[in-house]
Amino acid sequence: MLQLLSWKGGGVVSKQRQQVTISADSKTKLADVLFRQNIPQGIILRENPRNITHFHSYGGISKFFDGLAAGTLWGTVCGSCGNAGIWLPPRVHCPDCWQEMSWVKIDTSQATVYTHSTTNYPGAGFKATVPCPLISVEIPGICTKLMSYLSEFGDGEPYIGMPIRPVFSQNPTYTILDLSWVSRD
Amino acid sequence: MISFGNGNLRVPKLSRPVYMVAAGLTDFRKFYPEKQSTELCLESLKMAVEDGLGISPRDFKKMVNFCVYSQFADHFGDQLLAAAKIHDYLGFDPLGNIEVKTGGATGGSSVLAGVMAIASGYASLVPVIGWERMDEVNTRQGNAYIASAACKDFESELGWLYATYYALMMRRYIHEYNPNRETLTKIAQKNHHYARFSPYSQLPGDYTVDEILKSAVVSDPLTFPECCAMSVGAASIVLADEETAFRLTDHPVSVVGTGSGSHTLRTADRRNMPVLLLPNERPQLYQDRKNEWPGFTSFLAARFAAYLAYNMADITDPVKELDVLETHDAFTVSDIQTYEDIGLRPYGEGADFIESGDAFIGGRLPTNLSGGLLGSMHSVGATGIFQLSEIFWQIRGEWNKFHADDKYWGRFGKTKPNNFENLQVSNARRGMAISHAGTGSHVTAIILERGWSSE
Repeated sequence: MLQLLSWKGGGVVSKQRQQVTISADSKTKLADVLFRQNIPQGIILRENPRNITHFHSYGGISKFFDGLAAGTLWGTVCGSCGNAGIWLPPRVHCPDCWQEMSWVKIDTSQATVYTHSTTNYPGAGFKATVPCPLISVEIPGICTKLMSYLSEFGDGEPYIGMPIRPVFSQNPTYTILDLSWVSRD
Repeated sequence: MISFGNGNLRVPKLSRPVYMVAAGLTDFRKFYPEKQSTELCLESLKMAVEDGLGISPRDFKKMVNFCVYSQFADHFGDQLLAAAKIHDYLGFDPLGNIEVKTGGATGGSSVLAGVMAIASGYASLVPVIGWERMDEVNTRQGNAYIASAACKDFESELGWLYATYYALMMRRYIHEYNPNRETLTKIAQKNHHYARFSPYSQLPGDYTVDEILKSAVVSDPLTFPECCAMSVGAASIVLADEETAFRLTDHPVSVVGTGSGSHTLRTADRRNMPVLLLPNERPQLYQDRKNEWPGFTSFLAARFAAYLAYNMADITDPVKELDVLETHDAFTVSDIQTYEDIGLRPYGEGADFIESGDAFIGGRLPTNLSGGLLGSMHSVGATGIFQLSEIFWQIRGEWNKFHADDKYWGRFGKTKPNNFENLQVSNARRGMAISHAGTGSHVTAIILERGWSSE
């Protein structure tokens, strides 16, 4: 039932016309309250919901997230920059000389809490229960201080200097949440 | 990098003088359904042009040759290339324009881009326009959007909340330097108080130290009044070359120092390095230092930006040589860290900048008389521009004109408080604004100075 038009325009026009309609799944909802305040008279506030899936690649650091699933903590170290330390989070390339680094298993036997904060009001999308003690981890020989969390804590924990050991999720999500820490005592 | 080559520490030099000639603001609110971002941006620039320059928008527009737009997150406004829409709304097409993005420091970086456009000779009159629309989503989603500007692979998931990332620094700061906990709350108390005298402010209020300490804890040890506002609003400034500046005003303000620095987006990745010394620091100052630097207690980006800006402006003693300062007080702890990074006090002694009274009106370097991010606003893309607007008015002796006039209170449906305080710093000649992103991923330092000679 397409309209038949000559390439010069005009031409034969069918009397029957097609309809353009708006799909029924875009339900219209207007908000009347936001942040516990009423919407002022005469202002239209339309709800625009969304549900989108991104396909995110871990590229050259996929080995790290694969390692979490397998119960191993991997870092990277630069072969040409001497004793510059191990990177955790890992990077494929050394930021100093841009050479590719090598993968190395992290020895966590001396890991401690470098700093901590227990969150009560996390942002949307936070997957852990609250209160959740977030920590930065200090490990001898590592030049960085990985951010993570304690999956088990008692009164007065965490504290700076607290000896900790890693725990790997049995049901991997392939996110950094697959790694958590508990007291070494 | 943790060691520097000569090129890295080159002090910036403008090819020709750059002046700031006007500023304008909207008020800032948690929620602003009455106006779209286009309307807010127009209103802030209109104020700069009509109330500041005293000319008509039509005459102003004839002189403009380039525009810079400042918005942090497309997520919030949910409109890619919103700048193009605002540029069109202001009627500036077909003039060239750019939109700048460096997180929380977007405002400072945008002004820097405008300064570069003038200094290079590319342009002679440049408006810099910033805004953020943070009310399209609820606060929890807003915090998640902001935390999308942390590393999504390694840090965002751990809280989706910048307050937590700063609280990690705060805990470490308290561990390393043991400041009086109350001193931190006094920063919040000061800035919420000064916000009471601004018609533009979102969170004015007088709190006791105890009230701040006993407020709900967002992420320990940070309480709610110690965390910045989430705002909707706009800010605009106008930059010009010398000839244009003096044609528009007898009292232009000169851009005498600019610096821009950066550091790892992930706080985790900050490697230990020697302290970069500012012009007012001698090497002996830190020779016995045991704590790591910058560690979690200092911002290399802020120090780097200050290093460049001070050297460019020939500042050797910032507390003495600056008359007014705006810092990016997103959290109480970041403010103390910044005092040290920009050399107001040696590392570990930032609390003294508050306790000594230096940071207050009447002190040696009054800081965040605008109310800052804690008291007045953090409509992210507008923030750095808001800070420079306040410094600009202080240097021109116009604080009262733009804060005490009932016209502005009435414009935003507010009433001026009865016990109004005059926050004009007497004879302010030079001021600085620090614009800051992430946990210190980008920082700019911009120093403004009286650009006219006093007869």
